[in-house]
Amino acid sequence: MNLILISTLTMGGLAAVFALFLSIANKKFKVEEDPRVEQILGYLPGINCGACGYASCRSLAEATVKEEVLASACIVSGNDTVQKIAALMGVQAGSTQRKLAFLHCGALQSQRRKKAEYEGVKTCQAANLLMGGDLACSYGCLGYSDCQASCPFDAISVNGGLPRIDAAKCTGCGNCVKACPRNLFTLEVLDEEPDYRVVCSSLDKGKKARKVCKKACIACGICVKVCPFDACELEDNLAVIDERNCQRCGVCAQRCPTGAISLNSLC
Amino acid sequence: MKFILLFLSAALVNNFVLRYFLGICPFLGVTGRIESAVAMGFATTFVMTLTATIIWLVNHFILVQFHLPFLQYVTAILVIASLVQLIEMFIRKVSPGLYRALGIYLPLITTNCAIFFVALFIPLRNYDFVESIVFGFGAGLGFTLVMWMMAGIREQLDFAEVPEPLQGAAITLITAGLLALAFMGFTGLIGS
Repeated sequence: MNLILISTLTMGGLAAVFALFLSIANKKFKVEEDPRVEQILGYLPGINCGACGYASCRSLAEATVKEEVLASACIVSGNDTVQKIAALMGVQAGSTQRKLAFLHCGALQSQRRKKAEYEGVKTCQAANLLMGGDLACSYGCLGYSDCQASCPFDAISVNGGLPRIDAAKCTGCGNCVKACPRNLFTLEVLDEEPDYRVVCSSLDKGKKARKVCKKACIACGICVKVCPFDACELEDNLAVIDERNCQRCGVCAQRCPTGAISLNSLC
Repeated sequence: MKFILLFLSAALVNNFVLRYFLGICPFLGVTGRIESAVAMGFATTFVMTLTATIIWLVNHFILVQFHLPFLQYVTAILVIASLVQLIEMFIRKVSPGLYRALGIYLPLITTNCAIFFVALFIPLRNYDFVESIVFGFGAGLGFTLVMWMMAGIREQLDFAEVPEPLQGAAITLITAGLLALAFMGFTGLIGS
């Protein structure tokens, strides 16, 4: 009986001492955290893509609470999320423009000429460092799927050696823009109507461009001549469509001898 | 000389992770990056040294005096849990980034068998006060060393082309096994 009493008292006493010590420490090391950080974190997509410029969704949430950034800083999340964050922070949010990734190369594996057999590391980054790997064109898509690997949303699939962007899944985070060693991706504002676009980035002269790729822009200038609205221009051996003048008539795409101008609907 | 031998024995020859296979979960779980692995190692060292100190005091002045050696296990749990609480608060205050990097493994120091082992070994081997501290500190530093080596190897492994069936957990376990094999080489360093 005595033993039980002593052991109970000993343990109880020890526990009380530790509890006292911990409660003092708790007071001393207390961390004040804004509860809004957790709430905003709940609204954000939570995939830490880094498109906003912060390392993680949590750092963005902390920056939002400190009012270092606007409520619409998250590029990836839609209007709903932005409105919710703005409401939480008690500010007005403007509507956000949705942007999507767009690939400036349209040649399938079968349409691109090879200049060598490439046996190296199967990434675009490595192939590009090794004089462009097996690809004869020094501007086009290498087709080793670095962009697919970089996409946190599974929006890019590579078919026939050419990435395809699933507009429903693409959020415009811009990871593919950074991942592509040939800078073939840009972020374009989502347009309701389909656009005519030049799906080539080659700055080679016509003869060379035609030699290395069947889909290349050969800078023939037909689009410049046929466009009724003066929207097409040639810049450094590459056709450029000025979106301000383009009325989407489609004559350029019909007359383009290589199919380097095509109808692209982003949505 | 006695203390140096004890220290080397706890840190290298009888390394907790690679000789006794204690504390495997942080060893495999937190060794992805050197920075967090070393931080985890030092957090564990801190808890181990303090545990060794307090356990000896409690054991010597309370449990032995009142003839309650059967309470060793329970007091060990009490001491370790309180110390982990303390270090958790401390890290959260001082370095929130580290706090998030360590994540669930920080409270899991509570159930780290390596620390429990320290707490139970001290009365078992009849260490005196200074010996207990040296033992706890040495064991902690040995743990940190192994964590650091493992994290270094795993960071290098990120760049290696590992055969597909061996990727992930498999190559980690193989690495751990080879490291343990290498540590067997320290056996001849000290007589026992």
